[in-house]
Parts: sequence; structure tokens; C-alpha cells
Amino acid sequence: MPEGIAFVLLLAITAYSTAGGVDFGAGIWDLLAGNSERGREARALIDHSMAPVWEVNNVWLVLAIVVAWTGFPLLFQTVFSALYPLYALALLGLILRGAFFAFRHVADEPRAHRIADVVFGLSSLLTPFFFAASLGAIASGRLTPLSPMSVAFGLVSLAATAFSGASFLVGDARRYGAADLVAYFQRRAVAAALALIAVGSAALVVIGVEAPGLLKSMLAGKGLPFALATMVLTPLAAFLIWRGVFRWYRVLTVAAVGSMVFAWAFAQSPYLVPGQLTIDQAIAPKGTQVLLIVVAAVVVLVIGPAMGLLYYLDQRSALESPES
Amino acid sequence: MVAVVDAIEPALLPSRIQMAFTLASHVLLVPLGVALPSLTLLMEGIGLARKDPVALKIARRWSVVMAVQFAVGAVTGTILSFEFGILWPRMMGRFGSAFGLGFAIEGWAFFLEAIFIGIYLYGWNRLRPRTHFLVGLVLPPAGLLGAFGVLASNAWMNTPGGVTVVDGKVTDVDVVAVLFTRALGYEFWHFVIAIYLTAGFVVASVYAVAWLRGRRDHYQRLAFAVPFTVAALLTPVQLLVGDLAARAMVDDQPAKFAAMEITWQTRDHNPEVVGGLMDDSGNVHLGLSVPALDSILVGLSPDAVVRGLSTFAADARPSTVEANITHLAFDAMVGLGSVGAALSVWYLWILLRRRRLPDSRWFYRLAALAGAGAYLTVEVGWITTEVGRQPWIVYGTMRVSEAVTTAPASFVWSMLAALVVIYALIAYFFVTLLLRLSARWRRDDAREATAPEVGVPYGPRPGRFDTDA
Repeated sequence: MPEGIAFVLLLAITAYSTAGGVDFGAGIWDLLAGNSERGREARALIDHSMAPVWEVNNVWLVLAIVVAWTGFPLLFQTVFSALYPLYALALLGLILRGAFFAFRHVADEPRAHRIADVVFGLSSLLTPFFFAASLGAIASGRLTPLSPMSVAFGLVSLAATAFSGASFLVGDARRYGAADLVAYFQRRAVAAALALIAVGSAALVVIGVEAPGLLKSMLAGKGLPFALATMVLTPLAAFLIWRGVFRWYRVLTVAAVGSMVFAWAFAQSPYLVPGQLTIDQAIAPKGTQVLLIVVAAVVVLVIGPAMGLLYYLDQRSALESPES
Repeated sequence: MVAVVDAIEPALLPSRIQMAFTLASHVLLVPLGVALPSLTLLMEGIGLARKDPVALKIARRWSVVMAVQFAVGAVTGTILSFEFGILWPRMMGRFGSAFGLGFAIEGWAFFLEAIFIGIYLYGWNRLRPRTHFLVGLVLPPAGLLGAFGVLASNAWMNTPGGVTVVDGKVTDVDVVAVLFTRALGYEFWHFVIAIYLTAGFVVASVYAVAWLRGRRDHYQRLAFAVPFTVAALLTPVQLLVGDLAARAMVDDQPAKFAAMEITWQTRDHNPEVVGGLMDDSGNVHLGLSVPALDSILVGLSPDAVVRGLSTFAADARPSTVEANITHLAFDAMVGLGSVGAALSVWYLWILLRRRRLPDSRWFYRLAALAGAGAYLTVEVGWITTEVGRQPWIVYGTMRVSEAVTTAPASFVWSMLAALVVIYALIAYFFVTLLLRLSARWRRDDAREATAPEVGVPYGPRPGRFDTDA
């Protein structure tokens, strides 16, 4: 059962990395869309595609944190005591982003609107970078906030996020029949995929230097299937987008990013913090484990379908106003 | 590993201030976040049953406010969950497996609310009216479930139970006993009633202002009467529940109770001190002292013995300052609650005897203030329970100073400063947005036009994607 709970935690982290990543990626492209005039079309699309679901995506983060402190209290204490600056910065990004996404709609004057755009965009960089940096600090086994591993993980996360965001924005642009924006985000998705491959390879080198044991089990141990999956799926998704084959590319994008998270987690299992803390050492007592399994089951059985309904209605555009 | 009791923790002060500041902000968003869906559904139900388009319009507008509230509350709530790790890592490390359980349940509720608020808001006029109403019915129980989770965790801090501790480490957790500790019963009902009546008073106060400005149509009457009636029915009940809670405190959290009443010596014929401050040797200055009333309230007899603060070790009871804060906050809560109950009785009297709404300007002036008054009451009530528990984070088991982070104080002060600036910004935008919505709706009432959700953060997108949006 302890492994089951660790898996629930991993699933929550993965869900946040993929679903949340699509959102944060859209924020990154919002930042890079240029001034108000040039970025107008891209921003309108980004707004459009994020509006109804971003709050739900954020819930994955809360789920991950709750599972961590309830299921693995010792992990939570160890990690937060050592890495609090990273979490404070990630949190800063999260608040600013949530607030300014909601409130840039209120800003009428062009200058205020522009400031809101920029803050929203910049905060979309902070959160994925610093959350992933904390995973890098954990993976290194040394829990130092600023280290080659934390920076490497942070950069990989930014590239992966930008890739997911662009890939899904291609889909949104197609749904609204905006051909120029389809091409716009196709180019960006491919560029981000190339960046991801480059940064990812560099990160492997950093891991090899800083945590050779981890690299070994990533490339020759439990992490291997997932590492292989991400190495195949990322170029494949980018290829489909590049060639304009608009089938499966979004599923492949999610699978590529998800496999990356799995590759890290499986490579360092059964350690929660390599060399310091294992799943069995940190696990909460039995009663808590049972409740967490029940919580996870309810999330899958009740909340899963409800969330499916929201995504379905959103994709079907059933929630849009018919009058305009 | 356990810190020495008197060890000076440099980050203790800023951590306490930061937690107090962020909680005090979040608790202001809770009443409308949890209870407004019920008021909105009540109004929608009235609209559907009576085929009243005005009621439906009101419900639709309230649903927009509800969604904006929820968005801001989700942000401030996420901050709180991080603060448990950033500020109180040692508490989480030791008791996360018990204290965290309530939040696991609250997680479900958060999911359900986020999903169904989205569908509800976007579904106006896009789902069939009955379907839309039924979708909304998920929201009130989800809100209550969330409140249950959070209050179960808070009640556990006040009356911890259900854990087996060996050498300072939790080795066994009895889930049911952890979730349903003694304090949960009264904390849950006291808080749930508080947020429902607060939501009622707050929403009604907007339309009390409209009345004072001269608006007296069906729209204003309905939007005032429904929430105010809910609040007026609940407020007298709250006095009783609050009384039960205070008296349960005598056995469950005696030091908190002694602080609430600033009782220094254990004695019978204990007076009830209204207002006033206690000094370090237990003398009470200022304030109005009603002889033997506290003993009567506690034990229904002037001979009832009430335990005093001096019977607790100095490091196991609230300090003089904390006791005074707890006492004044408690008095303010009871005082404001009694004013609210009097206003409620006034309203219900006229409603039942004359079968109409009050028409006194003084009534509407008070009703306009009742919203702010209710918020203030929630704040002081929360201060009573949190400050009254000091110096404990887990009553009788773990001190706040043993839980606090080992991060440098300068880090926590900086984070606090950043949060204050950001919260001020969020509050500014939030209020601006609400004022703007209200101004637009007033204009719309002059000329019926746009759907209320258009142009708000959670509002529907135009059917075709439009670059001017």
C-alpha cells in the first residue's frame, strides 16, 4: 500500500505537470506574443482556450500537496524545510498569475492592460521553473535549492511547458478556424520541441555528473521504459504537428511530458529523497493510508467523470453563448 | 529532536503574523464562497417555481459574484496550504498523517466546486432550466463537505485525538477518531451557521443600500428579502449554538475559556467581565463586571466553580496580551451577534405581524451595516479560537514555537511583505471588478441588454473567437 500512495502522489504531480503545463505554456506564449498590437490575435486565442478549465487544473496541485503531507509527513517536512525558497517563488508565480489572468479582463486602459499581460506572462515562467527546480533538488539527493540539478530540471520544465502549451493552442486555433494562428502555433510547437530535446539532453549530462546513480536507473533501470517513451514521443508529436497531421498529436504531447515525470520518479524509487528517505520510512500509519486510498478512489470514480464532463462541454463549445 | 520549550525561534513572530494575515484574508472569502451558491439556488428555485424572470436575473448575477469570489478564494486557499509547509514544517512532519486528513476530504470538495461552478456559470441559457438548477445542486453539499474537512482539521488542533504517539512519532491513526474529535460538533455548526448568516447579511446589505438610495422595485425587494430572511432565521439560532460551544470549552479547552473570560483565580461566584483588560497579576481594569454571572452561565448556579488562568503553567496558557485579545475578541463577537439577533427579531416581527418588509430608514441603515458587521464577527470569532489556543498549535501537545520553520526570520518577513503587497493588489482589483459589475448591471436595468456574465473572468467566451474580446 505505501507504494500505492506514492503512485497516487506521482499521478497528481503528473496530472499537474501535463494539464497545468498546458496552461502555463499558454502563459509563456502570451508573454512572447509581443506588444499589445502584434500579440492581439494570439492573446485572444490564449484567453479563449484557458478560461473555463484553468481553475480545475490547479486543483491537481492542491491534491499533490495534500497527499504529500498526509501520506508522507516526513517527506513534506524534509523537503519544505530545505527548499522553502523555491516553493515561495513558485507560489508567488501562482498567485500573480491567477490574479492577473482574472483581472486583465478588468483593465480597460491600454497601459494597465499591457502591465497585466506582462505580469501574467512572467508569472507563468516562475511557477513551472521553481516547482521543477524543487524536484531537481530532491532528485540530486542533496536538497540544495540552487544547484545544477535544480536549474536543469527547471529549464526542462519550461521547455516542456512551452511545448505542451503550443501543441494545445494549435488545436484551439483549428477549432476556431483561425488558419494563420494554426500556422503560428505550429511553428512555435516545433521550436519548443527542439528546445525541449536540446535542454533535455543537456539535463541528462548534468544528471550524469551530479547524480550518476539516478542517470543509471533512468537509462538502464526502472526509469528506462519511460525515458524511451519520452525520447520517441516528443519528436513524434513535433513531427505530426510540423507535417500538419492533426490526429493524436495532443495525446502524444501529454504522454511525452507525462513519461518524463514518470522516468524521474521511477528511476529514484523506492527513494523519495535519494539516499535519505525511502517510501517505507516516510509513510504515514495504516489508518491514514486507507483513507488516502479511499480519497484516490473517489477522485477516480466521482470526480473523474465530472471533470470529463467539463472538458467535454468545453471542447464541444457547449458552454459558449449562442447569441453572439 | 524536540526543540527546547524556551528556545527563541527567530522566525516565530513573522510566521505568526503571516499566518494570521493570510488566514484573516481568506476567512473573509469563505462566507460567500461556501454559502452564496445556496442563496443563488434558492433564488433560482423561486424564479423557476414562480416563473419570475426577475428572480432568475438576480440568481444569474449572484452566480457571477460567486464565481469571482471562488477564484480569489482558490488563490488565497492555495497559499494557505503552502504555508503549512513553508511556515510550520515540523508540525506537518509530526502530525501531518492526522492533521492532514481533513484536507484530503476538503480536496474532493474543492474539485467538485471548481468543476460545477464552471458548468453552472457557463450553463445559464445553454442548459435546460431544470438541468441547470440540478447541476447547481451539487454546490451546497460540496461547500459543506469542504467546510467539514477544514473544520475537522481545526477541531483536531483544539481537541487532538485518534493518534497513538510513541517517542514523539505518530505510530497509529484512527481515522474516524481524528476526523470527529470533541470540538468538531460545535465548531462545525457554529461556523456553518456563521457563514450562512454572514452571506445573507452581506448580500442583503447591498440591496439595503439600494433601498436607501431610493430603489423600491420588485427586483430590490426580492434581492433583499431572500438573503435577509435566511440570515434573520439563523442569527437567533447562532446565539444558542454559540452558547453551547462556549460552555463545551469549559471542559475541552479550559485555558481558552479562562482567557475568554479573563478569569485569573479559580473560584465560585465568578463575575462576567464585559470589556476590560487584565494585567500580569490577574487584576482586571476597566470593564463592566456582572457578579456571579459567569458561574451561572457555566454551571447554572452562582456556586459553580470556574477554573482560572493561574492554575495553568505559565508556558501552557495564553500570555496576558493573548488573553486580553481573546477576551476582547470574544466580547466583540457576542456583542455583534446580539445586535444582529436584535435586528433579525425586528425584521421577523414586521414580516410576520404586518406581512410586509420594514419601511423604517433606521432599519435599512442598520441592515446596510450588517454585512460589514457580520464579516467583523467572523473575524473576531476566529481570533477568539486561534489566539485562545496559544501557545499551542496542537492543544496540550505541541507548541507553536516547536512547529515553526527554521528558515531565517528575514526570509519570512520578506515573504510577508510580498504577500501584503499582492493581497492589496488583489483586493483592489477584486473590489474594482465588483463595483464595475454593479454599475453595469444598474445601467443594464435601465436598458435590458447584455447577459451578466459577459466580460468577467469566468464569463463565457463569444461563440466565434473574436480578437476584439
